[in-house]
Amino acid sequence: MAANLAQRFARNAVAGAVEPFKILFTQRTLLRLLIKRDIVNRTAGTILGGVWVLAQPALQMLAFWFLLDFVLKVKFPGQVPFLNYFLIGMVPWVLIAEVLGRSMTVLAEFSPLYRRSVFPLSILPVIPLLLAGLIYGTVFMITAAVLEGLLSALFAVGVVAALLVWLLPFCYLLAVIGLFVKDIAQVFPFVLTMAMYLTPILYMPEMLPEQFRGFLALNPFADIVALIHAVLQGQPFTAGQWVRPLLLWGLCLAPAWVLFRRTEPHMREAL
Amino acid sequence: MSAIVLRQAGKQYVSYAHEWDRLWEVLTRRPRHRSFQALSDINLMVPHGQVLGIVGKNGAGKSTLLKLMAGTLLPSAGSVEVNGRVAALLELGSGFHPEMTGRENVYLTGAIMGLTQAEIDRLYPEIVAFAGIGEFIDQPVKTYSSGMFVRLAFAVATCVEPDILIIDEALSVGDGAFARKSFERIKAIRDHGKTILFCSHSLYQVEAICNRVIWIDQGRVRVDGEPAAVVTAYNNFLAGEASASPDAATGVAAMTALPVHGTARLTGVVATVGGKNGSPLELETGRSDLQITTCFDSDPALPCPSVALAFLGEDQRIVTSAGTHNDGLTLARDPLGRGEVSVIFSKFPLLKGNYWLSVYLLGEDGVHVYDQAFAAVELRVSQRGLEQGLVSLPRRWLQPAGVGADRDRQQSL
Repeated sequence: MAANLAQRFARNAVAGAVEPFKILFTQRTLLRLLIKRDIVNRTAGTILGGVWVLAQPALQMLAFWFLLDFVLKVKFPGQVPFLNYFLIGMVPWVLIAEVLGRSMTVLAEFSPLYRRSVFPLSILPVIPLLLAGLIYGTVFMITAAVLEGLLSALFAVGVVAALLVWLLPFCYLLAVIGLFVKDIAQVFPFVLTMAMYLTPILYMPEMLPEQFRGFLALNPFADIVALIHAVLQGQPFTAGQWVRPLLLWGLCLAPAWVLFRRTEPHMREAL
Repeated sequence: MSAIVLRQAGKQYVSYAHEWDRLWEVLTRRPRHRSFQALSDINLMVPHGQVLGIVGKNGAGKSTLLKLMAGTLLPSAGSVEVNGRVAALLELGSGFHPEMTGRENVYLTGAIMGLTQAEIDRLYPEIVAFAGIGEFIDQPVKTYSSGMFVRLAFAVATCVEPDILIIDEALSVGDGAFARKSFERIKAIRDHGKTILFCSHSLYQVEAICNRVIWIDQGRVRVDGEPAAVVTAYNNFLAGEASASPDAATGVAAMTALPVHGTARLTGVVATVGGKNGSPLELETGRSDLQITTCFDSDPALPCPSVALAFLGEDQRIVTSAGTHNDGLTLARDPLGRGEVSVIFSKFPLLKGNYWLSVYLLGEDGVHVYDQAFAAVELRVSQRGLEQGLVSLPRRWLQPAGVGADRDRQQSL
């Protein structure tokens, strides 16, 4: 009984990890069209057009630099300058927040496409992932190259790729929840803001009072951001910071995929 | 292998008080819904190359059946098997992304149907030419009129060379010229041996293009068979339901002065008996000569329309009909597209009772309806004799020669 259950869980977890990549391949034409349209829509009516997709995050980074480094001249205890530490943590965070936030609404947003016609619904949760990956992957690559040197740009691409794979089950999970439990979508931006404050992006973990530091282990994003700092800036990290996010990912793959597959017939009928 | 096989297929629609009840039910598998059985126990086998018409009243389950076959709904019981590429026109412009341009939507729909970029590239010019929406093809489809929407949707669905085409009432949308063009296109697809599923309230169209018709009533197949037989059975059923007699006032009032670009309309229907015209008209069986003159206005760019008329009884059933297309007459008209045709029914053969005359202006193929004057003229028929029924048939009585020499005259009516 238990072995049977474990076997089913493992099989579904593998499906949850593999199937989205199959979809990525078989529906590449469709995905390219939808993503192209999304990028065009963001900058519709502007003179510079597609330039804004990258210029907007770049301006945001510039504003951070102006405030933190130029005006406030914030100094950090470690050897890494505060601005570098902040930006290397902040860009991936913006990516995470954008992916998770859009996942909540992606099924409702694209409902005209599937409500009354045949459409491969399982490609939809991948769209926010690919879009954010394209935009913030590029921004992160440039940021890393400017702050940490050209070699770091390569690492940055690897970090974003790994991050996207890690986010996959959460996209499917949130897509279903966002469609059927609209209340959660309402409170979600607040949750994301709180998660940012509870994640060492604006501060270093060492700056937290001793008694609070242990709580960071409960926040998977704290682990993720610590790992990114470790890869790109040689910050110290612990084994737990690798194991916990991987475990969470492995545990979520099967439920996310099964839930999506089971609710799929209901999605056309849900409003 | 059949194009479509349904085995004991059924569809139950469920509704929930809240969307999260739906999620809860999926998670716990405990029912939290109210349900409505739209279709039950449908067994249907559609061979390749068949044109299947579906008739039935509103809410009978026609659209649900089409959606099951198109794959936009999953059956809640039984199985649905579809072999081949399906193109479905179920609802106006469904499946289009409103923010995308017409061009992008063509590629999007093609990609959803499994075509490669190269295949869509090849079909694209034909699709744009058929839809005929000109430079709007590069505008977002949310700016389209409903006519442009349906034209593009129709062009995509029929140009991607589907094996199975599913159409739900789509032919009634769009202007006259496009409706004609789309009807031609459907006939061409039929002639290429493709499978077509067609649902319409226009029994005339159903009978004209289908080679099999099923009548759906209360979620079940009530009759399945030859178009003529099923349409007749369905018509009889409708006649049984209609209790009120037709209202003569609704007919000709609809003939307003509108430009006739891309279409045609009736401009006048006059029925004359013995120098009198109007409605109601008094007639006498076997004695009155009824003349009906129909005037129409049409777009000169279109082929000349044809005219048909039908006599309805008290119960709205068609007693008899006549049409220029059916009788092999091609109408003539002036260069502006105006025309007139008269038909004479001498020695009016219908027996006593009240009848209504409906006049239809049809495409040159006698199928697409441009305009109609429903129950435009009321006919009040009286008779001298005691014949019973609806019609007096022309007849001769004969007796063997030599029996009763003083009565050897033949009477003919």
